[in-house]
Order: sequence, then structure tokens, then C-alpha cells
Amino acid sequence: MISWLFLLGVRNQASTLFVLVLITLAAASGIGRLQVDTSFDSLIPANDPARAVYQRIANEFGSDNRTLIYVRDDALWTPEKLASLEALQRGLRQVPHVERVDGLFNLRTVEGRRGRVDAQLLVDGVPETREGALLARDRALANPLYRYNFFSPDGRVTALIVSLEDIEEIPDASARVHDGIERLLDRHRGDFERVFQVGPPRISVELTRSLFSDMLLLGPLAALVLIGAILLFMRSPMAAILPLVTSSLAVVWTLGMLGWAGVPLNILSAMIPALIIVIGSTEDTHIIAAYFRGLAEGAEDVRLDAVRYMARHMGLPLILTVMTTALGFAANLFSNIGMIQDFAIASTFAMVANGVITLLLVPMLLVKFGSLRPPESFEEERRHGLPRRIVRLFRVSQDRFPTNTLAVTAALCVFFIWQASNLYVTNDPLSYFPADRPLIQDTRRVADDLAGVKFFYIALEGDHDRAFQEPANVTRLAEIQRFIQRQGAFDASLSIADHLAFVHREFGGQFAELALPETRQLVAQYLLFFHRGDLEQYVSHDYRRANIVVRHNINDSYTLNAHIRELEDVIDHIAAPDLRVVITGENLLVNRAAESLMLGQVQALGLLLGLIFLVMSAMFTSFKGGAIALIPAVIPIALMFGIMGLLRIPLNPGTAMVAVIAVGIAIDGTIHLLARYNELCRRTSDYVGAVHQAVEEEATPLIVSSLALALGFGVLLFSNFTVVAQFGALAAATMLFSILANLLITPIVMARVRLVGLYQILAISVNKEVLQQSPLFAGMSEYQRRKAVLISETNDFASSECLVEQGTMGRSMYLILDGHADVVRRGEDGEKVLATLGPGDVFGEIGYIRAVERTADVRATGPVSALRFDYERMQKDLKFFPNIVAQLNFNISTILGERLADMVGTSATKS
Amino acid sequence: MTVLRLLKHSGSWLLLWAAAHAAASTATDHGLEHILDEASGAEIMRAVQERHQLYPHVYEEQVMVLQDRLGHRDTRRLRRFTRVEEDGSVRFLLLFDAPEDVMGVALLAVRNASGETRQSFYLPALGPDFIESSERSSQGSFLGSDFTVENLTGEVLADHLYVRRRDERIVGQPYYRIDVYRAGVEPATSSPLRAHFILQDSLFIARTDHFDDLGRVERRQTHHDLVPVGAGVWRPNLVRMDNLRDGHKSYLRIERRIFSADLVPPERFTAQWILANQPPLARVVAAVEDES
Repeated sequence: MISWLFLLGVRNQASTLFVLVLITLAAASGIGRLQVDTSFDSLIPANDPARAVYQRIANEFGSDNRTLIYVRDDALWTPEKLASLEALQRGLRQVPHVERVDGLFNLRTVEGRRGRVDAQLLVDGVPETREGALLARDRALANPLYRYNFFSPDGRVTALIVSLEDIEEIPDASARVHDGIERLLDRHRGDFERVFQVGPPRISVELTRSLFSDMLLLGPLAALVLIGAILLFMRSPMAAILPLVTSSLAVVWTLGMLGWAGVPLNILSAMIPALIIVIGSTEDTHIIAAYFRGLAEGAEDVRLDAVRYMARHMGLPLILTVMTTALGFAANLFSNIGMIQDFAIASTFAMVANGVITLLLVPMLLVKFGSLRPPESFEEERRHGLPRRIVRLFRVSQDRFPTNTLAVTAALCVFFIWQASNLYVTNDPLSYFPADRPLIQDTRRVADDLAGVKFFYIALEGDHDRAFQEPANVTRLAEIQRFIQRQGAFDASLSIADHLAFVHREFGGQFAELALPETRQLVAQYLLFFHRGDLEQYVSHDYRRANIVVRHNINDSYTLNAHIRELEDVIDHIAAPDLRVVITGENLLVNRAAESLMLGQVQALGLLLGLIFLVMSAMFTSFKGGAIALIPAVIPIALMFGIMGLLRIPLNPGTAMVAVIAVGIAIDGTIHLLARYNELCRRTSDYVGAVHQAVEEEATPLIVSSLALALGFGVLLFSNFTVVAQFGALAAATMLFSILANLLITPIVMARVRLVGLYQILAISVNKEVLQQSPLFAGMSEYQRRKAVLISETNDFASSECLVEQGTMGRSMYLILDGHADVVRRGEDGEKVLATLGPGDVFGEIGYIRAVERTADVRATGPVSALRFDYERMQKDLKFFPNIVAQLNFNISTILGERLADMVGTSATKS
Repeated sequence: MTVLRLLKHSGSWLLLWAAAHAAASTATDHGLEHILDEASGAEIMRAVQERHQLYPHVYEEQVMVLQDRLGHRDTRRLRRFTRVEEDGSVRFLLLFDAPEDVMGVALLAVRNASGETRQSFYLPALGPDFIESSERSSQGSFLGSDFTVENLTGEVLADHLYVRRRDERIVGQPYYRIDVYRAGVEPATSSPLRAHFILQDSLFIARTDHFDDLGRVERRQTHHDLVPVGAGVWRPNLVRMDNLRDGHKSYLRIERRIFSADLVPPERFTAQWILANQPPLARVVAAVEDES
């Protein structure tokens, strides 16, 4: 069945090609529909109940979606500079989608002195004199509501806050806002020492542009690295071209599917072309290596025979590896973070598409254009190249110190797992960018001179209307803010308490310190001096709810979440018992989602390992097989998490995916190794030899593919995003660890087991009746008989070939499956045919039981196929397949017993 | 006679209260539009003023409703006293009666004959002192509403330049459009402060668009529920201000209006009277109690 699938493209070339072209064209037409999603929404779990709470609070107190224009100049407070600032503030209001701009020229203040209180603009137009400018500065700096929010304490920096219309649903609106602001800033850059924008439009634009830049850079770079690696190790241009063809088609299919299905591209899925090229190439590398091996066995039609050989030997491993790789990517669907889910959909489809294309196209291309002989250098490389040297090095450990090797590996794993306890999570969007990026540096500069550009809200709700006109509750707001100040983690906070304290100071005049009004009436009367628009960010219309706006510049979720937890404890204490508290904010939700990354990681990894264990156990009809298959998957993961803990690399949306993806890929090498080892075991009783041979044969494709994968993942280090670069570095390291696990550890464990593949049992082609009627298989089920056949060796003999030679020592017993053989005794008086054996007959059972000389030749009278049961091998297999081997031994003793009874009966008759 | 004196001296007081919504039911003067066909902006504004000249002594009981962008409403009750003196000076007093916590808050504004304005606040919770406030404060928002003090006290014709623009037809009604500039500026190179939309048949200012410095409409003031208060003189019982930038709305409903010098004697506009008569009248207290 699998071979049939594998050769589908060969048998139906025209129709297969037609279908492939049709799908590719359909997919290509969907690429134009591709959407890009760089919104913070995709970083928040869709089912997070806190999202609804945030939306309610943001709806009431206003969104935190604002852009800050940073303006710095040592001589800011001069008429010339202020004229430029006024022009800038006016210009910003003309940028598309800008709703309002708050800054020096429209901020209002309340100023009290000598029995007068004036509520007025900080500055009414551009001052004409230096003195007027300095007066404006003093007025601005005297207002605590604006300090850090609009002006640095030294007055050298000011901010213009740009509020936008709701542009979420408008395509390219962020880019238009960003570019509009940027064009305006360009005109003013000469006016000030420094001026720049920081806010969601810039982040969104930089994410989008970096995403496309990644797509354009990483794909071709991965292709170059891949070609280099394959040429280096396989020495075959064809081996380099085929993966490029299949992966290019897979890229088109995937992007087309994303376009048609409306799954948006994000910063993670931007690396998919590179991943397809890199991961897809590993399958091609394995099957091309099998094609080269098949060339040696080709007879009439060299290419077709080699492809058939390839189909026989690679069909199942290919399907299994495609499946496990796809499963690895699909496991990310368990994450509840939209960005990772979208990536999981895209990457899983990509891996399946690449597998289908490879299955249909590669055999077809090889039959048409494949090499007629393996590159000499390929064999040379296989015998003397780097893979061979690695294998030799590892074999020393495997043969001489197997237990020590396992013990050292186990100790290493324990050490790294211990290091993994230092693992921490982060999901902050700004941490996606490298620290030296201008956006990050600008963000830091804002935080240094003013307050951080990130916001969150502390929303409190009282149990009655006008609760926050009660001085006691206003005092609680101030208490919370005092704690925030003591905590030292956040840059600034602002609430209605600050507004009231400020107005109270200005009205009171005599108060040196900011103090709060002491009566409800005074609070209410002061509030008349504020426009609703000035307060709606801090208090609800009915004064039942109040809001403290906190600004910060913490870029890792772990630290932020820890501070928030501490804050929650204190606020609960202050607010109890009659105020309800919610701490929320888009930035906070995104950072809180980091904690779900860890849970999602554990769930996905557990499920994937469980699935692989079950699939492999079924495939090798043994739980041991399942467990062995997991070893080379688990070791690299343990090392990877250890390195993350050791180097303080956080678990983020990029690195959170490495483990499951790496498991899916690393298991491929193991599948190839186990499948080859299984196949070899059918031909030899020397299991250690079979292990060596399997490792030698698979080492080149395994090392080549793992190195190509490591290099390919390494390419991601050139990404514009830290999360993608970290993903690449860790995935590359994990691929290198998987070489160690697959070639050093798996062989040691593999040599200690004997596996029979379910596919072999199902695919075995033997005469059922022969087995049913043979006394050797008496008392066995069909499944057991098939498994017993696979435990034995199948030997084929040509006509006249000797199956057993008289006078030789042999411990093997045979069951003829097909053909006939004569039992011939050679004596002084010539040869005498004692009997003719046919299908179902057993011979050589004496030698099996006891080391004695063969008493006659058994010669094939035509082509003969026979099962060979070797004593030593059966003894070894007794521990692997105790039920079957015990039944076989019982049947052999029955056969021997009957022979003895026959002989005794015959002698008695003679006597 | 009083009115004539008023016009002679102040010549410029145009209380926007006087600008009324010209509903179909309003009084009309069918030949008027032809007379003003060739009139300038200033001439039309003068005609508006002459047509809807104010009574010098007005007492009003008002309800101010503030509505935020989410539709939440906040209601205040106030009393307003206006008195125009023979020398053209104007006195204006606003007393808060509800909600309870702001009861007794007073805003007193006096504009003298030369156009200079003085205003002061009284906050009962702060103590028995009036707090002076500058004229610039009058350009800011008025006690949390979208009205400015200037919107409520009126526009001085002499301080402004009026430019007539192309007449407009809104919902089938013909309007004069007059752009208002600060006096002394060059209209060709400046943005107008606001634009009045004046119904041609009744010369009521039905709508005023207030512009920001970029010439965009920032707030829109409209007048509704017009009532006749004299021969050809109309007053709106509802003034609405839409803040188009923030989505806020402010409504001012006049529940009772009395033109009487007795209700607005000069001593009512003094700190002594205000301090002596706060908390307010028993009727107001009862109303507050009813509410609570």
C-alpha cells in the first residue's frame, strides 16, 4: 500500500503532474489575499475571561492606545523652539486618523495665588519673549499632573500624546498614521535635539515591515545554507535541487491556503518558508540516500528499480516522519495564544503539504531525471566522511563503555533538568525586538526622561454612587499610589486623588504639600473645575468607579507579573472590605498570557510524547519500541530546557514551540534508524552487527539532515525578531543534541531489543496454508505465526543450492515455505535421495537442539524459500518475544518427540 | 427705552441665548431676506441683534445635563440671574442648587462698560471667601460642561469681524452663514472662530459651529424649543452643545424664565447677599430633598 502510494506519481505521471499544477495555481491565486496580524490581541488568549473585564474597563476609562511624541531640547523654553513645538502639535492634528493631540499648547491648569484661582491653558499661544517662555515652563513644571506624563522634571523633554480614532478595522491605518507622523517629524528634526514617536502604530509598522523583511531574507538564506550543506555531504547537485523544488511548491501551497482560509501571517509564521525549506529537505535527503543505495541494486531499468527500492525502504519511514513532524507543529494548537495557534495551523499544513508533494513528485522526478549511479564521492563520504568519523567515535563508547555512556547521559540530563528550574516566561511584545533596535532604545529613553510608555489600570468599584467623592475612598486611592511609589517598580501613577490634591493646593494656597480635601462637599465642588473629558480616564460618570493609571517600562512578563501579584495583595488589603479591585490593561493581559505559555507547553509536549509513544509502540508492536523511540526525543529536550535555564533565555511564544517541534523532527532520525535495524534483523542473528550496519547506513542522511536543520534553524538568528532568533538558536542546538542522542544513545538501547514492525507483520507475504498446517506453528494465532516468521530469517535459495551441507555443524532449523528440496546422503557408495521435502516440511531440528554434524545435504530442486530458525538467535529472542519463542520451542520438542516415536516404532516393527 | 440705551452703550452685547431655533412655528418676516440680500456679515449680525434684543433683567431656573461619550448623564440644577445696567455693564450670577454636594456654589461675572470681565467663585465647602478668577478662565470649559463662560454670556460685536459666506440651505430652510473672526485679523489668512447659521426668515441663530485652530468643527451649539418672549423676540428653552471631538453633549434646559428687575436687584450680585442667602431658598431645599 505504502509502496503503491509512493509510486503513484511514477505510474500516473501526467495526471499527477496536472493535479499538482492545478493545486499550485489555485494556491498561488490565494496569496494575494494574505493578511498580516501584528495586533496585541493575538497575544492574549481568546478564552481569557480577563479580556472581557479589560474591554469593559477600557470602554469606560478609555483605551491605552496612544502614541507619544518625544521632544528633547536643552533650549526648549525659548520662543523659537516653542513655535516649532506649536507647529508640530498643530501638524499632528492633521495626520489622518488622529483624534486629538494633548501637549503644552492645549493642556489646562489651575493656578492659585493670593485669593485668585485661574483655570486656564498652560500657555495661550507661543510666547513672544524668553521670559514668557520661562513662565510657561514654570507653570508646566509646577503641575504635578503633568510631571513625567508631559514634562521631564528638568524641563528638557516634553511629550505630545496623540490619541487615535478606532482604527482596528481599517486596513493599513496604522501605517498611514505612522508614516504621516514620521513625515511631520522629519520636517521638525532640525528644530530639536531629538524627536521621535513611540506607540502602537510604530510597533505595528515595525512588526509588519520586519515580518516581510524576515520572509524575504530567511527563505533564500535557508535555501542557500541547505544547498551548501547537501552539496558538502551528499556531493550531488540533484540532491540539492529536489528539496528546493518540493519546498518551493509547499511554500506556495501554504501561503495560498493561509490566504484562502483567512489565517493571518504573524511574526512566527513569517519563518515558515525557511522552515519548509529546512525541514522538508530532511525527508528528501533520506529518500535520495535510499535512491543512491537502490542504484546499486538496479538491474534492467536502473532508475525505476532504484525508485522501487526507495519506495520499499523509505515509504513507511517517510509517512511516519511526515506525520510526527506535522504532529510536532500541530501540538502548538494547544496553546491558547492566537499567534501560536495561527502559526501551528500554517506550519502543520506546510509540513503535510511538503510530505504530499515529496511523495508524489520526487519519485516521478527521479525516474525521469535521477542519476544513473550514485556519486562516487557520496560513497566516499559515507565511508570516510564526517558522518563516518562521528559514528566511529561514538562506537568506541557504545562498544566499550555502554553503561558508562548511559550513566553520563542520564547525569547530564538530570543536571540540565535542574537548570531548567530557572526557566521563566515572558510575552512582552517589545521583548520580541532586539535591545539595540531604535524602537527599544527610544522606548527606554522615554522611560528614562518621562515615564514608561506601557500602561495598566487599577480599577476600583465602590458599593454606591459617588463612592469616589468620599474623602475616605479618595484617600485609599492615594494610599495605593503611595505603595506603588514605594514599590519602585513602576514609573508613574495618576488618579483622581492627584487631581483633587492639586486643585486643593491651588485653592488653599497655604498648603505647601499636596493634601486631599477632607469633606465630600469640597471634593464635589472642586470637581466642578474639571471638564468631564479631563476626568473620564480616572473616574466613572457616577463616581462609583475610579481608575488609577499606571505607567511602566518593564519588558519581561516574569518581573511584571511578580510586581503585579505583590500589588494585588496590598491593594486587596487597602480596598477591603467595600471596594472591589481589578488590575488590568492590554499590556498586562499580554504579559499574563505568558503564564499560559508554560501550561500550553507542558500540555502540548505531554500529548505529543504520549502520541508518539503510542504510535511507535503500535508500529513496533511493543511498548519498548515506543519507549526507545522517545529516548532520542526526550534527551535533546531536556538539554534544551537546561540551556534555556542556564543562559536565562525566556520561554516566549517563539521558544515555547521549540520542544514540540524538535520532538517531531528528532523522532524522524529514530524512525529511520529503527526501521533499518528491524529490516536488517530479519537477515542476521547478529543484532549488534545489525545495529552497526543500520547506524552506518543511516548516519549520513541523519547527520546531514540534522546539520542542515541546525544550519537552517541557525539562519533564523538573522531574523529581526528576538523571539524568532531564540527559536532558531535553540532549535539548532536541539538538532545537534539529537545527533548525539540518535547516534550515541539509541544504538546502545536498540542493540538490547528486537522489534517487529506492525507494517512488516501486515505486509508479510507467505502461504497461509503452509503456516497453518506446519507443526512448527501449531497452537499459534495468525498474528503470532506472522510475528514468528518475522523473528526468523527468510532465506532464498537457487536451484541446486545446498540448504544444509552434510558433515557441517549447524544450529539452524528450516521450514520450507515454497519450492522443493531433496534430502541427499553422500556415502562411499555414492549419493542417495532419502526424501523430498516440500512446503510446510521442517528439517534440521536435531542440529537446532544439539550441536551435531549434519547427516545429509538438503538441496533445492528448484527455487526454494525457507524460514531459518537459528538456535542462538532464538535464545536471544526468548527474552524479547517469550510467548512466541516458547511456543516454537514447545512445537520443536513435539516434532522431535514424534520423530523419536516414529523411529522407536519403526525399530520395534523391524525387530 | 432701556433697550435703546443698552444698545447705545454696550452696542455689542449679543447674548447667544437670544439666538433661537427657527422652527416652522416661529414668527417670520417674509420680506426680510430680500432686504438683507446684499447685506454684509456685520449688517446681518446687527439685524439679528436688533430683532432679538434682550430684556435687561432676567431670572432663570435651569437644568444642566452633561452626557459623556457613553451616554451617561449627570444632572445639575441652577439658577441664573442676569442684569444689564444702563451704562451697558452686565452682571451675571449662577447659583447651584443640586446635587446636594455642590449646593450653594456660585459663579459671579461682571462685565463693565469697557468690556472688561471679572469673575469669581464661591465654594461653600471651602469657606466664606470669594475666589477671583481671570478673564482667560472664561474661555475654558464651564463647570464641567462643554459650554464656555463666553458661550453663556455672549459675543461682543465690536470685538469681532463678521464675514458673510455663501447662503446655505439646511433641511429645506435657507440660512445666512456668517463666519466670526477675532477683530483685527485678516480673514483671508485666518481661520474663523465660529460660524453662525441664521435662519433667513426669522433671523434666529439656529446653529453655531465652533472651530478649532485648524478650521475643523470642534463643537456645535444648537437652540431648540423656541418660545416667544415678546413681539418678535424669541428665546430657546433648550440649548445643546455637541463636542464632536470627545463625543460629549451638554444640554441646558430653562425650566422657568422671568423678566423682572425685582428678581435681579443689584445687591443680588454681591458677595454679601450670596453668603447670607446660602444655602438656598427653602423651595430649592425641598426640591433637593424630593430628589434624594
